[in-house]
Amino acid sequence: MNRNLYQPINGGIVDIIDESPTIKSFVVVLEETFKFETGQFVELTLPGVGEAPFTPSSSPYDTKKMEITIMKAGKMTALLHDCEKGQKIGIRGPYGKGYPVEDFVGKDVYIIGGGVGLAPIRSLFLTLVDRIEAFKSVVCRFGAKTPDDFIYKNTLFDSWQKIDGVDIKLTVDGASGNWDGNIGVVTTILSSNDVEISNAVAVVCGPPIMMKFGTLKLLEFGFSPEQIYLSMEKNMSCGVGKCGHCMVGKYYVCKDGPVFTYDEVKGYPNIWD
Amino acid sequence: MQTVLISELKPFLDALAEEMDLYVPKKSGEHYVYNRYDSSANVQIEFNNIRTCMPVKEFLFPLRELAAVYPQPIEPKEIRPFAVFGLKYCDLRSIEVLDRVFAEDEFEDLLYVTRRKNMFIISSDCSEPAESCFCDVLGGKPFAQAGFDLNVSQVKNQYIIETGSQRGEEFIEKHSSLFTETTEAILADRDKNRIETQNQLEQNNTNLKFDVPVNEMVEKTQDSDVYDEEAKTCVECQGCTRVCPTCHCFYLYDTKQEDYFTKMKMWDSCMRIAYAEVAGGTNPRKALGNRLRHRFMHKFSYFFERYGIDMCVGCGRCVDGEAGDVDIRRVLKRLSEELKGKDNRRAETAK
Repeated sequence: MNRNLYQPINGGIVDIIDESPTIKSFVVVLEETFKFETGQFVELTLPGVGEAPFTPSSSPYDTKKMEITIMKAGKMTALLHDCEKGQKIGIRGPYGKGYPVEDFVGKDVYIIGGGVGLAPIRSLFLTLVDRIEAFKSVVCRFGAKTPDDFIYKNTLFDSWQKIDGVDIKLTVDGASGNWDGNIGVVTTILSSNDVEISNAVAVVCGPPIMMKFGTLKLLEFGFSPEQIYLSMEKNMSCGVGKCGHCMVGKYYVCKDGPVFTYDEVKGYPNIWD
Repeated sequence: MQTVLISELKPFLDALAEEMDLYVPKKSGEHYVYNRYDSSANVQIEFNNIRTCMPVKEFLFPLRELAAVYPQPIEPKEIRPFAVFGLKYCDLRSIEVLDRVFAEDEFEDLLYVTRRKNMFIISSDCSEPAESCFCDVLGGKPFAQAGFDLNVSQVKNQYIIETGSQRGEEFIEKHSSLFTETTEAILADRDKNRIETQNQLEQNNTNLKFDVPVNEMVEKTQDSDVYDEEAKTCVECQGCTRVCPTCHCFYLYDTKQEDYFTKMKMWDSCMRIAYAEVAGGTNPRKALGNRLRHRFMHKFSYFFERYGIDMCVGCGRCVDGEAGDVDIRRVLKRLSEELKGKDNRRAETAK
């Protein structure tokens, strides 16, 4: 007999990392072996409170624990932010289709991200650098409101930038103090010379407005809609293509996504909202 | 497939009720509703001329149910075999829609599948279509063609029972003493009744004959302003989705009990404003017109593309069951007219 689709796997929060004033990473350990592919998402249950979808931010190769980076954005996330180490949680999933990493082999991987959108991107980044020689290059262009709003600062500002084959540029909407990087929205640090477009894929994940203008910029550079991978944030609830909340056109984002090519979703209404 | 004859329903229903929980239609005001059959009570057995007021999905996908208990899971509640008498072909077609969603191999919903396996379906012919019935427009008929265990047709004061499954055959064989044989003449009478009802239905809906398949028509007019205009008559009661036998959106929520937690599964509605809203308040379908558009696109285009059947069976419950004035038939008619206009303009330009 199949497992009850709605039964969460029990687990607990073993560590909490403050990433930015509004974002925390929760390290969770589950009572069962749990494997996911990068870009897939999980439903996280806060017992008695509710459930919400998140894409793990840790490497899928780490099967002992999983990290989930969460921005305080609504009721459930505010309560999660109030949690302490030892808090019991539940996980359902993993759900959906993640990034087709095998299709990226031999190509420039152009990653554009902003805000908490760096959470799924971190998982992808760790997956790519695990065998960096398989990819032509990994070019990252990330934005945040202020330098303090960047998440994963320890690695982002330091060790990630030193990896051979990785090129990272950062920008902020505004900065005070000693920020010597770019100021402006993420599209201001994109250049058509960043990658060899005919042999590249682009990955975009961030706030809706950034996803929209990032995608438009890529199209302007000459990327085809099939080359652009978007991680869609919708109201995924059941996770198994039934409850209907996350529908974008004919797609159930939870089952057919959350990663789509722009080509797949471009014809449907309100994809950026 | 075999047919047998019985002159009154009570012995037949009593035999069913002996083996399983039986639900039968009962008139309540203008409508029929389902009640548990009690063989000892001396109530009049009613043969419903049309579908019941509430949809059959209630039996398979209740308004609210326990989906999971955690952290310590519990064994699922045992579902007793049950039978539903008097379902119409539109009801059977709606079960087909629900099967596609909840009983698909990849993610089988055990809550649904367990009930479905334990359900014994006794359909019956429609004899008097309601004003709102328009199943014929969507490929339906006023009598069941498939998907039943037994089907009952009333012919004058007698009832023809037809088997539609192995389980149905077994039931008839087991209770063979209750039945007599059908004759050519009575079967001919049944077919005549069926044709008459079908003709009446088609006559009621002559203004709903479309030149192109409905799914194609809805898809081609997806940008239509008709949705925004029709939305003005919608009062957001969500009644249309509640009474709809194919609507299956649901909502999961958690509760805290003394020493455990639960996940509950409850009907939801895509017409509700916060339905698609994400944390932080972004909402792709904030405008009521967009929600109505999505509802129609889901029913006639998206679902069709995914599963190959429409997610509307033309039962007309939404027409009867809502507080506002959005009539699914009028919307389809307006879309059809708009498409004709579009095609005419295109033809003009081509000249």
